[in-house]
Parts: sequence; structure tokens; C-alpha cells
Amino acid sequence: MTTLTAARRRPRRSAEHRVSPLLLALVLVPLAVEAFWVFWPALQGFYLSLTKWDGISPPEQIGLGNYREMLGDGTFHLALRNTAIWLVLFGGLSAVGGLGAALLLQRERRGVGFYRAALFLPVVFSLVATSLIWQGMYQPSGMINKFLGAVGLAGWQHAWLADPSTALYAVIVPALWRQIGYVMVLYLAGLKGIDPALYEAARVDGASWWQQFTRITLPQLKSVNSVVLSVIVIDSLRSFDVAWALTRGGPYHSSELLSTYMYSTAFQSLRLGYGAALAVAIFVLAFGVIVTYLVRAFRESDA
Amino acid sequence: MGNEDLTRRSFLAGLGAVGAAAALGGCATSATPKSADQKSGAVTIQSNLSSPQAKTAMEALTAAFNKRGGAQSSLNTVAAETFRTQLPTYLTSATPPDIYTWYAGSVALTYADKGLLLDVSDVWQGMGGYSDALRKLSGDGKGKQIFLPTNYYWWGVFYRKSNFAKWGVRPPTSWAEFVTLAQTLKGKGVAPIGLGAGGNTPWVASAWFDYLNIRINGAQYHRDLLAGHKRFDDPQVHKVFEQWKTVLPYFDPQGTAIPFQDATTSLLQGRTGMMLIGTFFADAAPKDVLDDIDFFQFPVIDPAVPVAEEAPTDGFFASARSSHVAGAKEFLTYMATPEAQEIYIKSSSGTVLPANPAAKDAGTPLVAKGKEMLSKAADLTQFFNRDSSDALQPTADTALIKFLQQPNQVDSILTDWQKAAEKVWSA
Repeated sequence: MTTLTAARRRPRRSAEHRVSPLLLALVLVPLAVEAFWVFWPALQGFYLSLTKWDGISPPEQIGLGNYREMLGDGTFHLALRNTAIWLVLFGGLSAVGGLGAALLLQRERRGVGFYRAALFLPVVFSLVATSLIWQGMYQPSGMINKFLGAVGLAGWQHAWLADPSTALYAVIVPALWRQIGYVMVLYLAGLKGIDPALYEAARVDGASWWQQFTRITLPQLKSVNSVVLSVIVIDSLRSFDVAWALTRGGPYHSSELLSTYMYSTAFQSLRLGYGAALAVAIFVLAFGVIVTYLVRAFRESDA
Repeated sequence: MGNEDLTRRSFLAGLGAVGAAAALGGCATSATPKSADQKSGAVTIQSNLSSPQAKTAMEALTAAFNKRGGAQSSLNTVAAETFRTQLPTYLTSATPPDIYTWYAGSVALTYADKGLLLDVSDVWQGMGGYSDALRKLSGDGKGKQIFLPTNYYWWGVFYRKSNFAKWGVRPPTSWAEFVTLAQTLKGKGVAPIGLGAGGNTPWVASAWFDYLNIRINGAQYHRDLLAGHKRFDDPQVHKVFEQWKTVLPYFDPQGTAIPFQDATTSLLQGRTGMMLIGTFFADAAPKDVLDDIDFFQFPVIDPAVPVAEEAPTDGFFASARSSHVAGAKEFLTYMATPEAQEIYIKSSSGTVLPANPAAKDAGTPLVAKGKEMLSKAADLTQFFNRDSSDALQPTADTALIKFLQQPNQVDSILTDWQKAAEKVWSA
């Protein structure tokens, strides 16, 4: 009797441990697809960064030559500096602006839906269309200069995109315009997840608005913050379409970002090896920033 | 993801369409005997002529070719920027499109040197009427013909006749008169020289560099410079910029802020007086002002230098790996006929000149004048990127826009230009 039940039980148990072929397929097929479409090209990118290649002739191995060139390349340094400015301004302002907008619009009031939708609307537009709109506004005879003229600030009128001292900032504004709406939605979702009882208890204890914000809201948003940070870092480093559509990194490299420099090196100058090396640099930067942050965040939550 | 699905689906649909086209092509040509070596299916034409007028013209051309009942062709129009970046991929793929729209000169030779272009010397055998200059321009320099020119156009300093009459000025015949004209116009509150090197058309500034260089140092020096046999920090190149500086005060201050399309609008509206531009700008000009447009030749600076003009030549080349060699050559042979070139000119804005001397151009006084100027030229150049490569063009854009904004830094600009160009030449 006992042996029988044992015998009956054993196959059932091993069936529990055996992975079902459907599950296996669900894991392995996407992995294979991912490997073919993402990992393999990425590995090829690393390989290309060690070569000199014009896209036609066979690639020529040059070891770390591309990376050595990067160290002495003034345009690369400029692009790196601009990307850092971009990361700080675009990242910082979109996080602050997104959080501010979320705080303003979190409470259900009449018409709040309209404002939320209005702020989110730029996210829906294609970035190239966004760029076209802003390009028109930035024209020497465009809306911005006309407005400045109308309010008596004609002295501030400017060829915003053609002047190397303003081009980079003129490109950041449309990108911000879009990103704030996106970050706002992330924070709105985060704010919705905070238990209202925490605020009630704080109010009973006589906490001010600022105390509630710093002691409840910010700590509770920690998990959203890591998402926002990853999104911002990745979006900053891969920002390309706005800059390319508005200035192509010009005039004379003044609004050059790592991404636009990578594109023009690879596809305009047809120096695909050096372009791949630049892409690797972008990857390392993005990966580095995010991993450092995540490691710190996990360590804090473990402690 | 949805996007990828869409492209994959449209890709499959495209495959289906190609298959269907091949099947239909088989039906259509089944009546006419076909040589055995020729694979079935249409000759694919990859075109970067994506502006509405030019696209219509290409559609009319392929339709006319297909109606002849010989080989069939199918047109695939791609945005110019995509086309340019994808061309190396097209040409090196195992099953490339057969025919490509492209430009004559060094910009085509790069591909010929890698053995990627079809030898079309036998097509040229039937093209006795073509000028020697075009024949030489379409060769690979080693005795093979690799390009088939269909039309060309010219650059000049364009202006509106009615505006010049209103301001009481005449087109200049020398550099000194040109400077005086600019002074006069500035005195009348008009920005004398329009440019349009802002937005996405910084390359327009290269026309000034090209013309000043071929007027001061000659066409051969210009070509040597672009090929890397001379240096951009050469004293002779400095002379070009010294000359340019003398007229810089007369350039439209918005010149580096607006694209050439807006700059031509400024010209037509009389905000600027004149503009060095190619005839393609007329594509976008309103029909009623076309008759009011005239041009003068870029003024001669040094009479000792033989007068050369920019005459960019457009046409086709074919892939060396084409699987429809006979059909591709049949298409190119047709494109060389007066009939085909006239169809193209009639369907486009009509400011281009046909490459076949037997074909009729649009016949307007403007076109006649342009044609005469080019026929008198001692030498013809193509344009900065066509005489070098599309890879060298961005280095020129960077240098020239910086010069236009900060002319006093010309020394460092030229040193940087040489450095950037060396990277491209050694790539």
C-alpha cells in the first residue's frame, strides 16, 4: 500500500519539476530572437569598433586605434561636454518639472484631466514633427523673435539655431517640452501608490507641507526615482532626432552630441569603425551611470 | 513592437508585390522573344528623386519604358538622405537593385574603384552624339564607362529682372562691378547677397568656395585640392578666403540662419538682391515669377585663369551584381535617347539641360542663356561633394559656416579643415 502510494506520488512530483515544453519555448524563443536582433548586432558593434571600415571594403583590424583617436579628438571632447550639459539640464529639469507637474496635477479637481492631457500631448507627437514645429518658431522671422519684438525686447532677437552660443540650448528646449510630460506620468503613477493614511497621520501630528513632502512623498517615490533616472539617462544619451532635425550638430559642432557625432561619423564620413567606437562609448556611459545608481539603490534598500 | 510588426508585414506584402510584378512581367513579355541569359522579373530602379515633380517625372519615364514592350522596370523611390546612407549597402548586397539615380564625377568613381559598378561601355557605343566632356566624365579613368548622364544644370548669380530695374542697377561683367553693385544695393537698404546656408542646407555655402577657388586657382587646382593632392591650409586656399572677405559685409546677415528655400523666397520678395544658386531652386518658385528670373555668370576675378563653370551632371549607374544585366542596359540605352530625356524635362520644372545634344531643352531664354554659358566654359566642375565625396562635404560645411560667422579665425579654420579632411581621405 505504502509502496503503491509512493510509486504513485513519485511521477507526479517529477512532473512538477520538469519544465513544460511550452514554458521552455516561451523563454527560449524570445531569447533567440533577442540574441539575433539585439545581442548579435551589439557584439558586432564591439567588433567593428576595433576596425577601420568604410562600409564597402572588408573591415581592417586596427586594435584600439579608434579609442586612441577618441582621446585626442577635439570634436569628441566637445560632444562629450555637450552631452554632459544635456544630461544635467535635460535630465535635471525634466525630473524637477515632471515631479512639479505631477504634484500640481495629482489631486482630482475639475479640469485637471485637461491639463494632464495637455502636458502629455507632446509625448504623443513624433519627435521629428516636434522639431519641425520648433524649427519654425526659432526662424529669424519666426514666432519667438516676433514675440520678443512685440514686447519690446527686439534686442534679444536672435538666430537661435544658427548662433553657436545658443544652438545647444535651443535644441534642449523642445526635448524638455516633451520629456516633462513623460516624467510627469511616471510620477503621477508613483504618487497614486502612496498610502493616504501616511499623510493623514502626518497632518494629525501637525507636519507642514514641506515636511510631508520631504519625509513622506520623496522616500515613498524611491522606486519611481530609479525608473525615472534610468529613463532620463538613457533618453539623454540617445537623444538624436531633435538635435539632428534642428541643427545636425551644427553650426560647426556647437550643438554636437555624442549621438549626432556618432551618426555623422558613421554615415556621413563613412568611418564606420570610429562610429562604432563612439557607439560603444555611449553604451558604456549609459550602462555605467545606471548600474552605479542601481547598485547604490539596492544596497540602501538592503541595509 | 507594433511598428516592427507593421514593417515586417509590409515587407512581406512588398515581397508579394515583387513576386506578383515578376509574374505579371513574365506575362507581359511572354509574347516577345527574350534572350535566354536574362532572368525573368523587372529591372529595379532605385531613385532618390523624391521631390513631387521629379518623382512624377521618373514615374512617367518608367511608364514610357515599360510601354515599349521590351524589358520591364519597376521604380522604387527613396528619400534622398536614406538613399545616400544606404547606397553602399545596396551595392554590396547579394541581390542589389539594378539601376540607381546618382551623380557623375568622383562621387561615383568611389564605387567604380571598388568594382561595384556595371561596365556600360557597350551602351555608350550607340551614344556618338554625346560630348567628349560627358564621355570622359562618365568613365572610370581606366577605359570603362560606368555612368550614364541624362541631364545637367548650371549655377549662376540669380536675380529678378523687375527688381534690378526698380533699383536702377545692371548685372555686373567683372568682379569690380560686382562689388560696386553690392555697395549700391546695400545703400538702398537691400541685403545684397542672399545665401541660405542655414537649416539643413549648409552645403549651399560650398558654391561660393567652389566658384572663388576655380576663378582664383583654376578648376584643376580645385579638383586636386578636393582629391587630397593639395592642402586646405595652402596659401592659395587662403587667397580664396581673402577674396571672400572683401564681399562678406554684403552677405545677408540671415545667410547662415535660413535654408536655401527660404533664401530664394527672400530673393523673390526683394529682401535680398541676388543669390549664387543652382537652377533647381526654380522647382519651388511660383510659375508666374519664373519669367522674371535672370542670372549672370559668377564674375571673373583673374582673367589669366581659364573660365570654368559648375555643371552638376545627373544620371544613372548600374550595379555590377545586377541579375538583369541585359534589361538594365536596355533601360540605360533608353535613358540616353532624346525621347526619354525630353519626357523627363517636360515632366519636371524644365530648368535642366538634356545630356543628349539631340534632345530639346525647355527652350526658354533662361535655359538658352545657361546652355550658352556652359558651352563657352573652358572646363566644367560638378560641385564640392560631387568632385570629392559626400564624406568630405560635412568638413566643408563646418569650415565655411564658421568662416561666415567668424571670418577673422580663418587660419585656425583652415588648419581644422585640413585635419578633418585627412581623416576622411584616409578612411
